Amino acid sequence: MHRPVSKLLVTVIAMMLGISSLQAKPLNVPVVYYKLPNGLKVVISEDHIAPVVTVGVYYNVGFRVEPKGRTGFAHLFEHMMFQGSANVKKFEHAKYVEANGGSTNGHKDFDYTNYYETLPSNRLEMALWLEADRMRSLDISEENLKNQQNVVSEEVRVNVLNQPYQFFEWIELWKNAFTNWNNSHNGYGELNEINAATIEDVRSFFKTYYAPNNAVLTIVGDVDANEVKKMVEKQFGALAAQPAPPRVDLSEPAQTKEKRVSQTDKLANLPALATGYHIPAQSSPDFPAMALLAQILQGDDSSRWFQRLVKEKELTLDLTGGLNYFGNEFDYTGPMIMTTRTTYKPGHTADEVLKEMDAVLAELVTKGVTEKELADAKVRYRSNFYSQLESSFGKAHLLSVLALFRDDPNQINSLLTPFENVTAAQIKSAAAKYLVASNRTVIDRVPEAKTQTGQ
Amino acid sequence: MKIIFAFVLLVTSSLSILAQQKTPPPPGPVRPLNLPKFTEKKLSNGLTVVLAPLPNVPKLSAILTFRSATNGTDRAAHPGIAQIASGLVNEGTDTRTSKQIKEELRSIGGSLGLGSDPDQTTMTATALSEFSSRMFDLMSDVTQHASFPESELKLAQENTIQQIRAGRANPNFLVNERFQKAVFGDHPYGFVVPDEKSISALTREDLKTFVTKYYIPNAAHLIVVGDIDVDKTYAEIEKAFGGWKSGTVPPDENPPLPVRDKRQIYFVNRPGSIQSAIYIGNISIPRSHADYFAIRTADTIYGSSFYSRLTRNIRESKGYTYSPFSSSNTQAKTGSFVAGAFVRNEVTGPTLLEIFYELDRMRVLPVTDEELNAAKEFSVGNFSVELASQLGLAGRINTIYTYNLSKTFIDDFRPKIEALTTADIQKAAAKYFDTYHAAIVIVGDWEKVKDQVTPFGDVTMYDAEGNVVK
Repeated sequence: MHRPVSKLLVTVIAMMLGISSLQAKPLNVPVVYYKLPNGLKVVISEDHIAPVVTVGVYYNVGFRVEPKGRTGFAHLFEHMMFQGSANVKKFEHAKYVEANGGSTNGHKDFDYTNYYETLPSNRLEMALWLEADRMRSLDISEENLKNQQNVVSEEVRVNVLNQPYQFFEWIELWKNAFTNWNNSHNGYGELNEINAATIEDVRSFFKTYYAPNNAVLTIVGDVDANEVKKMVEKQFGALAAQPAPPRVDLSEPAQTKEKRVSQTDKLANLPALATGYHIPAQSSPDFPAMALLAQILQGDDSSRWFQRLVKEKELTLDLTGGLNYFGNEFDYTGPMIMTTRTTYKPGHTADEVLKEMDAVLAELVTKGVTEKELADAKVRYRSNFYSQLESSFGKAHLLSVLALFRDDPNQINSLLTPFENVTAAQIKSAAAKYLVASNRTVIDRVPEAKTQTGQ
Repeated sequence: MKIIFAFVLLVTSSLSILAQQKTPPPPGPVRPLNLPKFTEKKLSNGLTVVLAPLPNVPKLSAILTFRSATNGTDRAAHPGIAQIASGLVNEGTDTRTSKQIKEELRSIGGSLGLGSDPDQTTMTATALSEFSSRMFDLMSDVTQHASFPESELKLAQENTIQQIRAGRANPNFLVNERFQKAVFGDHPYGFVVPDEKSISALTREDLKTFVTKYYIPNAAHLIVVGDIDVDKTYAEIEKAFGGWKSGTVPPDENPPLPVRDKRQIYFVNRPGSIQSAIYIGNISIPRSHADYFAIRTADTIYGSSFYSRLTRNIRESKGYTYSPFSSSNTQAKTGSFVAGAFVRNEVTGPTLLEIFYELDRMRVLPVTDEELNAAKEFSVGNFSVELASQLGLAGRINTIYTYNLSKTFIDDFRPKIEALTTADIQKAAAKYFDTYHAAIVIVGDWEKVKDQVTPFGDVTMYDAEGNVVK
């Protein structure tokens, strides 16, 4: 991957042009990485800017692999992880963390589920104890399961079912863009399936996926790495490994024809449009260009789609989107789409919006991008990347997913390089290859009462 | 020897399984806070500048606050003008088009956004540190030379009207709007969004006059936090903002607040709603009030922390809701306290009952020492996390200047929290969690929940547009 000659050349030219400051300073995040005999991956990164620490435990299980007939189960399970363990009573995880000056949460995603605490760094060992206790001995009861089924059902109501648009740019788009059930199903969960889950489902999911050899433990903050190692050994060393979880086939056949879907919305007042294009895998040489392409098309208010739709044509109110609906370029593994969502103005049609989006793409494919536009997109990309590293949580997140999916958290210090090396020609060819109608799914979502008049 | 050693190891590790700690490990020694050193200076035009180096990433963050441009400013003649102006100043200046501003931001890895609230208009900007002077130039240009191009004004008027229409489909928007109006009435704090006619009536001249009059350095402060060198940064600021002309600071208006003589229900009917969005609360105190730390801590124990009483009750015990909450919003002139939850229709009445029960319990009985100690740790610990981020620290410093707090607010935080007693908490709850005069705001399907709601008080009914309906 390293191309020292051309890199040197770039630097020399940049210096001659007096734009040496555009070159990123090398990152130097300290990383200690090792595995316990039970397979637990451990990442430690010292950062003494403030007396705080983040502990993250990332399990290699996301909602793509939840069982059929159990949509929303990975999410329901995440809630069960706060329902107590051998030495921690129901919900007391939150009590311990908060009474020690911290905050805690969990999150389910396409390909991982994480749990984390940020707290004063002198309370680190307590957080490790809490995480080890629930990894070792989750306490599962009928009563708590029923309680959390109710809570998760309310979460789905408040965030999806009682909202205009109902997350259609995620849930509906994924249902239509993908054919493999693991990728296409509703990861937030259908209410009847959330409520159908049994205690046996919970036990078996825990045994299969919540084992030290299927997890990463990350500690970032104002700590001493050698002391942390001792604490980790003490709290996690005796946990038993489990057989590796079964591999699930996430492969997705190539899309060959555009998919168009029309929907009505009972609660919305204005029409909205969502599009999704399948993107190359992270390992593809086209991937960094695709990420910058997303930046150039819709990364900020200067982007081409935003300028065309919102400003020049005044067709739409807003425009949001990106490569990974929930996260960044590094925190997923399965097939992915680049999504875009825009609320358009009454009196206009989805076709008008699509026509403008396509015209922007046609320009990109024929004329490409200017060197200045590409250089600026890289500056924006680098700046956004630094922002992810600003908090101990942000840094822990990146280190964790790099350990989980690539077994190499040290990559954090060279992660930007492939993106810095993208050329204008690569942008152009990625646009021509991936941003074509046959590779996309479009959903037009129109307010129910207003479908007839369009007004 | 080797075998024995292995055997010993095995025994030790099985013992450690059996002897797995039943109680949490004790804390280690407290690590020093090492807060950044603040430098406060004043430009000759009256602009207060506060600089705090926090080199956690090679970026900087700035908040520029105009204290005279509030949501209430000039609202008799031009309702919503502060909001529209704040959305438009970065859409064109005398020398830059909207697009050029956005492109400049991209090329410095930056952001620049404005927002107005009842106490201030704030401009928040970030950039890579290497481009700090370009960031200040842009901030200064937008502050002093906004040109309000006709095309941008027209677009903003249209889009704002549409966005508000879209918002009226959203229960979160509706419940907040009705709550602010119920609690603050005609006080400027009760103003949420302008009506369509007022938005359409605004002209370029109105907006130019507004920013010339109210975006003035002698009623502004600029907070900069990040990977900065104090002297170099101050020189850049002086260069960018030195020519900004001072103006006349308008008198502060603080009209009387409405008085509610009984508990009252404000119901926004949203037919087809499958949940009730519930806010319950009342007026509280300004940020500078002596009870600030007590009400803040009462709020932590009641509903704003995860392990709060309200969450344990209606989420973890009863399963009525996902996200019960409470919030103490203290601002410059007054504040509000609100408790709430979004719940399925069937448990609307039982939720009201439990919210009131927990509020009254805070008023009638003291919290336990354990609860209070936990709340203190929670506040102090999370405060240190907040101060470790550039915008977190900048935002906190901003409150000192906007709400006119003690300059030692950050240093005093810990001792003031630690001095609180259970009696202080009960006194604050008794005073500010006033269930007897509470405003109950519900957005939901009236036909589905009316029988559960009416026992709690008299009802005034609204539609989504905010009209009273019979």
